[in-house]
Amino acid sequence: MNRLQGDVVILSLIDNLKEKGSWCGETHIQKATYFLQELFDIPLGFEFILYKHGPFSFDLSDELTAMRADMLIKLQPQPRPYGPSLVTRDGSKSIKNHFSSTLKKYDSNIKFVTNKFRDRGVAELERLATALYVTLEINPNKSSEFRAQCIIELKPHVNIEEARAAVKEIDEIIRDSQKRK
Amino acid sequence: MLGICLLPFSHTAEKELLPEGWNHERLTLEIIRSAEMESIWKEVKITSDDVAKLAVGPKYFRESYFSNWEAILSEIITGNSFGVDRMDYLLRDSHHAGVAYGKFDHYRLIDTLRILPKEEDGSIEPVLGIEEGGLHTAESLLLARYFMYTQLYFHSIRRIYDIHLQDFLKEWLPDGYFHTALLDHLQLNDNTILTELFKAADDVTLNGHDPASRIVNREHFKLLYQRNPKDFIENPDSAKAVFKAACDKFGLNNVRKDNYKQRGNGHEFPVITEDKQILSSLELSDTLKNVPIVAVDYVFINPELYQDAKKWKKENIQTIILLKKEENHE
Repeated sequence: MNRLQGDVVILSLIDNLKEKGSWCGETHIQKATYFLQELFDIPLGFEFILYKHGPFSFDLSDELTAMRADMLIKLQPQPRPYGPSLVTRDGSKSIKNHFSSTLKKYDSNIKFVTNKFRDRGVAELERLATALYVTLEINPNKSSEFRAQCIIELKPHVNIEEARAAVKEIDEIIRDSQKRK
Repeated sequence: MLGICLLPFSHTAEKELLPEGWNHERLTLEIIRSAEMESIWKEVKITSDDVAKLAVGPKYFRESYFSNWEAILSEIITGNSFGVDRMDYLLRDSHHAGVAYGKFDHYRLIDTLRILPKEEDGSIEPVLGIEEGGLHTAESLLLARYFMYTQLYFHSIRRIYDIHLQDFLKEWLPDGYFHTALLDHLQLNDNTILTELFKAADDVTLNGHDPASRIVNREHFKLLYQRNPKDFIENPDSAKAVFKAACDKFGLNNVRKDNYKQRGNGHEFPVITEDKQILSSLELSDTLKNVPIVAVDYVFINPELYQDAKKWKKENIQTIILLKKEENHE
């Protein structure tokens, strides 16, 4: 997948999230892209590390800035307590039209991620994305309880009940996504 | 530490001139963990990893996760908005280049820095923010960065000299790469390279004669194309398309390209107001909302072909920048 194809996937994700009423801040895009890339093996090529608010990609953050430079997206300030939203600009339409087969190929994956995560707050996204990170990167074969303990070790402000719920939900989401591959 | 960890001529083409898997951050880690440095860290009762973590930040330090405190400390050094590395190079480069664009009131800025929660939708993770009283000096820092990048660091003439220097180094260095063995790395500096560059410029038989001579005799390649709003609405990779077409027409040796887009954001951070509310900087500052993103795309041509290339570009630009069919990108 080349850079512009990756951009149209992100643009479509932003449009879908926005259409479904998501506030669509950078944290939302970061987490939604992480879910998209990892659950469906979409070759976006972003490297995620565990950082603030869970898995985070500096490369994706740079790409979002580059997309602003290319007039594909813009920041839209929101009233507190929300951070700014990212919204697509008119300039994005032509490349989305041009790469329509890429969009078609990943459309159902984008819709799956949008539906699962559109109305989640930052704190909830952080827990779910960290649960996925722990499951995929750190302890793929460990029990739910072990992974929940791992989450609270990595993110001390998350309590054990929240961590257990996040692991349970992410296991369901992984199962659902596998059916759709 | 920064001074000894960087390659000669700092960031000039480090990606192209370091072997696969290396970058200056990895060199930095190697130096911080070297036996010589370990003894210094021991003396001041810290570990090399304490230093390494903060020096290269979470993007490059993968051995362990960053706690909130470590993330904040690393942000103070390498962060996008208020990293001290950035404050230092803008002020220093501005002074040494004799331009005023990079200056801002760093005393006021540092005085007003605060650790604040972002408070986005229930999140409590802390980040580096500022008191409302420091917002204008934060604006001037971010504007200074914009001006320094567009007027100095990424000026087309300055960039083509970087490219000629990279071409010279590629031919002059053994196997075309910088050494990564620490002692070899530390022994090679700007002065060594300048001496070799002047030698090569004077002697056609030496490796790197052509690019060296272009630098010494100021016969640099000329700017043929740069990104512009009209073209990149049609094709965000218009410069890449022009580069490819120019290479086909005039030959790879006669064309060079350059591309940079600003990394990270840096314009959005929490601000604590006089009445102790925490707001986004973008809510409070119209200036920050509108600071443009730095982005350059250049295509350069051998000066001997400049007139022909200019005519060719004028006649063919619309065809050249047309986006190719999608299947060709797969």
